[in-house]
Amino acid sequence: MSSSSGQSSGYDLSFKILLIGDSGVGKSSLLVSFISSSVEDLSPTIGVDFKIKTLTVGGKRLKLTIWDTAGQERFRTLNSSYYRKAQGIILVYDVTRRETFTNLSEVWSKEVELYSTNQDCVKILVGNKVDRDTERAVSREEGLALAKELGCLLLECSAKTRENVEQCFEELALKIMEAPSLLEEGSTAVKRSVLKPKQESQASQNGGCCS
Amino acid sequence: MEPHASSFVSKARTAFHSAAAKAERVLTDFKIDLDSDKQFHDDDFGMQRGDESARSENESKFRNELKHIKWRPPGIGTKQDWQDRINNIRKGRKEVEVTDKVGDVNVGSVPFYDENLYILNVKNDLDAKASEAIPTVEGLTAATKHPIPPSSVLKQLAIAIEAGRQTNSMKDFVASSPAREKAGLSISSVKALVLREKEDKLTSEFSSDEKVVYLINSLFDQEGEFLRRKINSDPEETSISSLPRDIHGAPPESLVVKLAEVIGNFKTLRGMSLFWSRVVDELRKHWSEEKHLLGVPPDDIPDLKSCLLYQQFQVINCCISRKRRHIIAIESLDSMVMEANSNTSDSANYMGRIPTSPLLYARLRTGELVLRLGADCPSGDLTLLETGEPAYSPVTQEGPLLTEDLIKETEEFVLRTGSVGAGCSQLLSDMQAFKAANPGCILEDFVRWYSPPDWMESEGSTEDRDSFYGGESMSSRGQLSLRMQKEGNLWRELWETSKSVPAVKQTPLYDEDLAVEGILDAFEDIQPSELYRQLFVSLLGLGFAIAETMLSGDIDTSKLFNDCKEYIVTTSQSDGFHEKVNELVQMYETVEKMLLNPDKALKMMKHMEESTMTTDEPKRRFSTGEPKHRFKRFSHIFGGKDKLLTPVRKDEVNDEEKQIRHSFSSFFDSKSSLFSKKPPKPGNLYPGEQPLSLERLDSYLDKVQFHPI
Repeated sequence: MSSSSGQSSGYDLSFKILLIGDSGVGKSSLLVSFISSSVEDLSPTIGVDFKIKTLTVGGKRLKLTIWDTAGQERFRTLNSSYYRKAQGIILVYDVTRRETFTNLSEVWSKEVELYSTNQDCVKILVGNKVDRDTERAVSREEGLALAKELGCLLLECSAKTRENVEQCFEELALKIMEAPSLLEEGSTAVKRSVLKPKQESQASQNGGCCS
Repeated sequence: MEPHASSFVSKARTAFHSAAAKAERVLTDFKIDLDSDKQFHDDDFGMQRGDESARSENESKFRNELKHIKWRPPGIGTKQDWQDRINNIRKGRKEVEVTDKVGDVNVGSVPFYDENLYILNVKNDLDAKASEAIPTVEGLTAATKHPIPPSSVLKQLAIAIEAGRQTNSMKDFVASSPAREKAGLSISSVKALVLREKEDKLTSEFSSDEKVVYLINSLFDQEGEFLRRKINSDPEETSISSLPRDIHGAPPESLVVKLAEVIGNFKTLRGMSLFWSRVVDELRKHWSEEKHLLGVPPDDIPDLKSCLLYQQFQVINCCISRKRRHIIAIESLDSMVMEANSNTSDSANYMGRIPTSPLLYARLRTGELVLRLGADCPSGDLTLLETGEPAYSPVTQEGPLLTEDLIKETEEFVLRTGSVGAGCSQLLSDMQAFKAANPGCILEDFVRWYSPPDWMESEGSTEDRDSFYGGESMSSRGQLSLRMQKEGNLWRELWETSKSVPAVKQTPLYDEDLAVEGILDAFEDIQPSELYRQLFVSLLGLGFAIAETMLSGDIDTSKLFNDCKEYIVTTSQSDGFHEKVNELVQMYETVEKMLLNPDKALKMMKHMEESTMTTDEPKRRFSTGEPKHRFKRFSHIFGGKDKLLTPVRKDEVNDEEKQIRHSFSSFFDSKSSLFSKKPPKPGNLYPGEQPLSLERLDSYLDKVQFHPI
């Protein structure tokens, strides 16, 4: 029952983040761009993938476990289980493909309602690929209107140029920390991981070796 | 090709088996820890049984109690009175008198602490000898005329939660007093001669007991009339459904809620445990006979906002539905193949044959006709690129049914290993099904069906287009996206590995037999406190859901009700649930009073608003009871704020240690910890204790006043 060293975790809060949206909008590129500054082309995600990142926001050291899901319809049921207890959800669309924007309100926000078990979870709307401005099909005003309707933030970014990429995750983390219940969950998760140091180190090792 | 194909499938299987093995290891470690804890608290177990007996009630006892209460001498008994009562117990006076005295003990619990201990020890001995009365279907049915289940049922579940925390196996309850069984047997033999009652002690005798059989049959009856309460037909049911889910309970009228009400009516931990074993046997029988459980949706994926027990019942029903569908699908495919073979043998010149329904054929570029297997329906106006034939969506395997515990397990497994096994297995399965339904197809056809954004139709010159996200090149018919064309892309590797196999003939992605067997095994090995906690919360949710509709029309009582409701939602969602079980019972009792004695509830409300003390004794009791609730609510909120204000790790560790200490306290340790929690406010110590006793006494008086009506 006794806990091991309280200093071994190296962070104050631990949050679970989920990336969702249609296939091909750039979810995986966004995540890889945030984690490693890489901008290489990525194969379509199969099922689910994850990456772990630690950063400091608002004076707190955070550990973010970011789950990247495949956007194909067939994978929806398989990935519905990852909504459970997520503190933050990022809904991504491609500003050059209007259909991906429409599906956020017709498909993905309904998935969030259906599968999220965390009533207080923070949502953020992200319009990707703004570097292709000449092909833009969804205006910023339209994005803001949907964000208001869903009760969340909007950020437009480019995984290729890394414009606003870090801001997406930092804004989300700040919003999560503003919610008392989520803050408590974040610290509870740290306490639990302190009791399982082996699992923690293994997770760190595997964090960077995913397809 | 074959070895390569099996390597992917076996990788996926190894992954899941490895996860199961690791989970098993974790559970083993967990049990070892609990065993050591159990030894530490073994001496306190008897106290728990005594406490449990003191609180359990049934209708016949209540009548006797009524008789005795009327004749109770005024005031709290003196020490001499206690001595006389103890002597009476030794002489073998009726058990109901003991119950009556326990009521008195509650009133004077502080000054007579030592006598309290002694009496509970004596009571414990009597309990070992008492027969295990089994609730009857008739009794339970009669109880449904009350608007909500009696609070005594909820109390019994609360007692079981507390007792269950000291053991990790239901079997410990069944075998809790082997020595006493012998003594009890001899005494009960004599008792049987006098009272002409049967005493069934063994599990098999319990299972074959007439009353138990009748209870089981009623609980699983396909008509579903057992324990149905009329209020649930109220059209407002839709609006009240949020409460049971907010507290992670189970839907009203579901099997879980009915089970909670039945088990809560048993009077001994042993009886409760034996009945649960009987229920698990019945579940196995339903599974083997492929009969759905009533009071659970027949084909829904698990509802993660309900309790785990309900989710597991959903999985059992869903697996029954899937097995039925699977059998039908296989028979359909087999008969299709037989018919196709029969047609082939009838005509040597099959190449010129025109396809007829329901058999579906695809013509290859060579002109050869090949039977489509597992084709579901045409995929829009999509046609295969090389053959020009219509593309069909195949029948695909259904996804896994994950309850919250398996989701957590899966997530931890993925985090630990980086595995994407589930996604790859499903993708491979879908590719094989697509090939079987679309002879002559290529990867591009599959991608156009499965992942449309990865296919780019030809649209003239695109040399200047940015290629980062998926450029295009000149093509007469289109091109895979750049990301899909990328070298080493797993999609292409899987495609080249996959064989043409319809879904119903594939290795199952989700094995229904394995899943349900795992659930039934988990039921047999369930930790008692885990089972009773879920039953407790489910029954609590039912009572509040019904009360909400009944009280919603009355503005005065609905205000008080909403306070109680808000409290239980907050408490149920928070950590430290176990320390607050008794408070939840009190909330339930308050709501019960509102329904049974609305006038008194209203008086209580008025009194609170006036903030004045009256000379009338019953009113004073009520008024002192309610401030205690408010005090507890405030202390909870204050405690919550403390956590938020001091996130420093040291404080968190200290807090955790406190919880650990408290979680293993016995009945009396619980009382002492109650005192230790209040040092900062010594002025509230004794006044705080007294209202609790008064409230319990008051609940007796309420029942007295209610039943003569």
